[in-house]
Amino acid sequence: MSRLPEQPGERISRSKTISFRFDGKTVQAYEGDTIGSALYAAGRRTFSRSFKYHRRRGLMCCAGQCPNCLVAVDGAPGVRACTEPVRDGIDVRHMNARPGLDFDVMRATDLAPSALTPPGFYYKTFIRPRRLWPVYEKVLRHAAGLGVLPKKQAEREWRTEYRRRHADVLVIGAGAAGLRAATAAAELGADVVLCDEGPEPGGRLLAEGHHERARALADEARSAGVEILVNAPALGYFDGLVPVWQGATLHQVRAKQVVFATGTIEQPLVFAGNDLPGVMLSDGARRLAALYAVRPGARAVVATTSDRGLEAAVALRDAGVEIAAVADLRPDAAAGGALGDRLAAGGTEVLAGHTILEARGRTTVTGAVLGRADGSGGEREVDCDLVIISGGAAPATSLVAQAGARTTYDAARGVFRTGELPDAVHAAGDLTGAVGGEAVRLSGSLAGTEAAHALGLGDGASRARVQEAHRRLADLNTQAVAVAVPPAVAGGERGKCFACFCEDVTAKDIKASIAEGYDSIELSKRYTTVTMGPCQGRMCQLTSVRVMGQETGQTLEQVGLTTARPPWSSVPMGALAGRPIEPAKRSSIHGRHRELGAKILWAGDWRRAYDYGDPQGEAVAVQRAAGLIDVSTLGKMLVRGPEAGAFLDRLYPNRFSNLKPGRIRYGVISSDAGRIVDDGTICRLDDETFYVTTTSSGAGAMEEWFGWWLADWRMDVHMTDVTQAIAAVNLAGPRARDIMATVCDLDVSNEAFAYMDGKRGLVAGVPCLILRIGFVGEVGYEIHYPAAHGEHLWDALIAAGAEHGLRPFGLEPQRLLRLQKMHILVGQDTDSESTPFAAAMPWIVKLDKADDFIGKWALEHYADVEPETALVGFTMADGHVPTEGAVVVQGTTPAGQVTSSRYSPQLGRVIGLAWVASSLARDDARITISDAGSTYEATVQNKPFYDPEGEVLRS
Amino acid sequence: MPAPCPSPTRGALVMSYLLTCPNCGVREVTDFGYGGEIAARPKERPSFRELNTYNYFRRNVAGVQREWWFHRSGCRAWFVAERDTRTNEVHWTALPDQAPAAEEPSAQVPAGSAGGEATLA
Amino acid sequence: MSFEFLAPGAAVPGDRFAPVARTPMERAARAAGARFEARDGWTVATGYSSLEQEREACRRAAGWADVSHLGKLELHAAADDLAAIVADAAGGAALELGTATRAGDAWWLPLTTERALVVCEPAATGSLRERLEAAAASAARTVTVLDATCKYAALTLVGPLAREVFARFSAIDVRARVLPVAGFRPGSIARSPGLLVREGEERFLLMIGWALGQYLWETVADAGAHLGGAPVGLDALAEVAIGIAPVREEAGRA
Repeated sequence: MSRLPEQPGERISRSKTISFRFDGKTVQAYEGDTIGSALYAAGRRTFSRSFKYHRRRGLMCCAGQCPNCLVAVDGAPGVRACTEPVRDGIDVRHMNARPGLDFDVMRATDLAPSALTPPGFYYKTFIRPRRLWPVYEKVLRHAAGLGVLPKKQAEREWRTEYRRRHADVLVIGAGAAGLRAATAAAELGADVVLCDEGPEPGGRLLAEGHHERARALADEARSAGVEILVNAPALGYFDGLVPVWQGATLHQVRAKQVVFATGTIEQPLVFAGNDLPGVMLSDGARRLAALYAVRPGARAVVATTSDRGLEAAVALRDAGVEIAAVADLRPDAAAGGALGDRLAAGGTEVLAGHTILEARGRTTVTGAVLGRADGSGGEREVDCDLVIISGGAAPATSLVAQAGARTTYDAARGVFRTGELPDAVHAAGDLTGAVGGEAVRLSGSLAGTEAAHALGLGDGASRARVQEAHRRLADLNTQAVAVAVPPAVAGGERGKCFACFCEDVTAKDIKASIAEGYDSIELSKRYTTVTMGPCQGRMCQLTSVRVMGQETGQTLEQVGLTTARPPWSSVPMGALAGRPIEPAKRSSIHGRHRELGAKILWAGDWRRAYDYGDPQGEAVAVQRAAGLIDVSTLGKMLVRGPEAGAFLDRLYPNRFSNLKPGRIRYGVISSDAGRIVDDGTICRLDDETFYVTTTSSGAGAMEEWFGWWLADWRMDVHMTDVTQAIAAVNLAGPRARDIMATVCDLDVSNEAFAYMDGKRGLVAGVPCLILRIGFVGEVGYEIHYPAAHGEHLWDALIAAGAEHGLRPFGLEPQRLLRLQKMHILVGQDTDSESTPFAAAMPWIVKLDKADDFIGKWALEHYADVEPETALVGFTMADGHVPTEGAVVVQGTTPAGQVTSSRYSPQLGRVIGLAWVASSLARDDARITISDAGSTYEATVQNKPFYDPEGEVLRS
Repeated sequence: MPAPCPSPTRGALVMSYLLTCPNCGVREVTDFGYGGEIAARPKERPSFRELNTYNYFRRNVAGVQREWWFHRSGCRAWFVAERDTRTNEVHWTALPDQAPAAEEPSAQVPAGSAGGEATLA
Repeated sequence: MSFEFLAPGAAVPGDRFAPVARTPMERAARAAGARFEARDGWTVATGYSSLEQEREACRRAAGWADVSHLGKLELHAAADDLAAIVADAAGGAALELGTATRAGDAWWLPLTTERALVVCEPAATGSLRERLEAAAASAARTVTVLDATCKYAALTLVGPLAREVFARFSAIDVRARVLPVAGFRPGSIARSPGLLVREGEERFLLMIGWALGQYLWETVADAGAHLGGAPVGLDALAEVAIGIAPVREEAGRA
């Protein structure tokens, strides 16, 4: 165990020991440990195998930034060990190594000559011979990717959900600047959410000896009423909507103002072996020591470009790590100032103008080669088990750039920081290039206050504070920064220098891609996949820009950054999916259908009964006795007002203003292009009121269509959608009238209640609107009534019909029955090109109507033009049921298609509807249907297959 | 009264924007149905060519246009919005009878017939 | 104007038929252990576990109750007519978009300046409809009064975590500063057209299409149970005040 004595501000509770398993072995940990800190304390140095070369990788950032510690926890792959808290009994396993982490056969890819694995290796190698692609694919699929999902579905499922959070201000990043910004905005009365990817607010303060200040700042924010979300990375910026992922919850934060205080990401240096376990970022080493009291190594070499590395060296030395040597890239030995002096006084050699050229070691670091940055020698090898690197601090600009901020190149630091910001977007802290702790905190307060001002909060005093803060900040930020910009690569001739740890892209690979012509940063990114791995460019963006600049002779400003895209943090797909919320409409009789054994399927957004197990028998029952079908899904509207008749006359090609109260008429809705849009029946209830039904699938669209024209025409008409308020059943068949007579208080004789009459009366004690229409070709009553009585009336009819042979029937037998009558199904038998003329319904169009109506001009045109194709009925010569959509052919030329087809047990033959060339749209014409490789003969018929004259209907 | 719409990032293209329903107030754009650019129906019988233009052609401007929206998830009313198609910035929304008079005459004539006037610039 | 085929309360129980209205959430409530009673012509869920446990859910987390049986009337008229009818029928009340008005034990909800929904106790639906029709008699233009009871399923969500439960399936902003008590918001609820009324500090009335009732119940129960909530019956719900009065005044009574 390499635990240090108690560290001030450490996060672990030494009194609480817990254990978990790693690759089957038990590991002890303290509460507060991460999986990474516990494994490191237990002596583990290799945490993963790299993507392509299967090289050993160890802890590097200890902040969830790099890809080096991805593990699977309880079956969920892609978890970062360095930030994932240890929980008692969890099962942690390594990823991407077979058979094990310490011996991985795929390591051969690293040892092979690199000429075999250049960038674009996959594209170049596996394209020929083409016939081998299935084999390649199998191998590549096996090799590609990092994690493996559990095989059992149950183990792949976990509960996730969305949480919508509206806020006045969202602050992203809970470092010193973010905490100050949140507090400042909240104190002025704003409703503030603050999120941070770490487990505790405070950011860098926590690991750099300022934990007390961090906790004080967090307390201030809490007292001001800020909602603080920890372990909660912001994933991206979607036009003001910021998804923040926190375990099982995806917070969708919609804030009026957003403050970005995402800080900086310490950059690695690019040198030979820079990925070897034991090479660690200075921040990572400090986190291990300060937060988890884990000694990162016994003897360290430090390579830095700024004071950040020197500060780490001092802190780690104080924690008990021997600092063997420090290579400070800054040429001036005095740059390190007091820090350098302190190190030197402790016996550490500080080498100015030096950097690290190579990390040596087989499985972990055993030594480092330092040398002059300008290549002028001075090389020396130092034994060590830890290499601490600090290659500069790159502002984490991705999120703020997604929000529309520009980035500007900061030549003094060699990094990109925020530039011009759009409205409602603020930046604070290191992200803005603030110099020093005071500037960071001040820029935070300033951003928070300005965000509150943008909301109309604040007062004279707060505005005065803003003025003062701007002045002070300008002064502070003009202080010089002592930072050296590292070379793109150092020690390149000594071995692989990784630019991108996620995708195993070396600096040499980027150079090679440039040589191949991918000489812009966006192209190089796509070709080499640098910045496209789990780190999302955190570790590699700046490096790749530097290599590009060096190779193409451009300034870094000219090279620029690649477009920032979400997700900024890796996130499981399940978290993005949320709960499976799928609106399902159910008829008020739905429960009864299920009890009757109905097959329930989706029909649009409804759950519907397709049949009750015997579709053909159900259809036969309707024709021989009686059937009952739930048609509650039909669209239903009340259209009311003195101009209601005129309104319908303008919407439909036929007339409704002359319909008598109590009578029903069929109508087809046409577009202004003369195409069939929907159909249904309309019953006039009284002078001013019409009850309009539409197709089930068209209900929503028709409500919108009616409402749209009403909004435009502004007639004195009220339109109310009552689709869901009303249950509707259709009772049909030769015995339907007998059944009705037993439950209905109206005289249902044919004389009193004729075909196409609509009457109001009681059925089983429920007030109903009863429409006598020929829905399925038999005597039928469509009964409309309050949905709350759905089951009651259904049950009453089923009971009353029992002695008459009544059976419930579903959607499938209904389609057969309607097909026998050649009732078209809009959307099934028609498409966006079908006119009423071509669909064999010329009678529906009343071109003699004096007034204009929707579709009139187009229909006038089509009335005079012979349609190219026409919808006809057909009977198959044999028993084959053609697939709906099968092609009607003339010779070998497609000339139409089958839209509906069924075997009719009543007729004893296969019938259908099809679009055919107009020349064939005559009775007894022979057509040929091509289906699944064979052709079949059929005969055209224009009259309904069943009851062609409608005598049954009217009886 | 035309209602102003919040614009989180003025000047930049936004996709998941907010709309102000004149009846219900500010909602996510996913609350609404889009009815397309406003194209007045011909008042008199059009020629067949004019009819086809009205039915099938749109001005499709890169710029500010008036369009129909439907508050599908809310009051289920149609209203008019003025939106910049380049940025999705919505300048205002209003009920049809409360929309400001259109400045450009093209918004009052069939969309299609103005198609020829739309410049490529 | 008589559209009784829309009015569940217009059923006529007799010797042969005894229609009792049922809500679209009934089966889901039954599966969740509800006890039912017939009240005002409806089968309603009066309780689940025990009154005390249901109170506890409302006090500590969230409770939800099927209130689809509430009477709903839709009023459609020209804006000035609508204002006059409402003033007449609701004791001088004036409606304002975005705000629910509580008058005569009913919520008056303006959908637009020309359309309003009135939500009342089921037994009051018939008389309220008559009152509205009487008030409409003097209107200059067409007035439509419809029983819209079965147009909307309804669910009441109460408790300190009601807001949190709601945020799991709707993007409507329900922060108190944005949606005060009696705030009214038509908008997307559980990805469907919905209506939301903040009935009290911690009491929300959700309405959604009748056919989506079971789905809404399942969605609320899924989110609510995960946050420690439970379904509650009408008896427990009756103890949670409507309006601005402190929500948990009954806390000590048990």
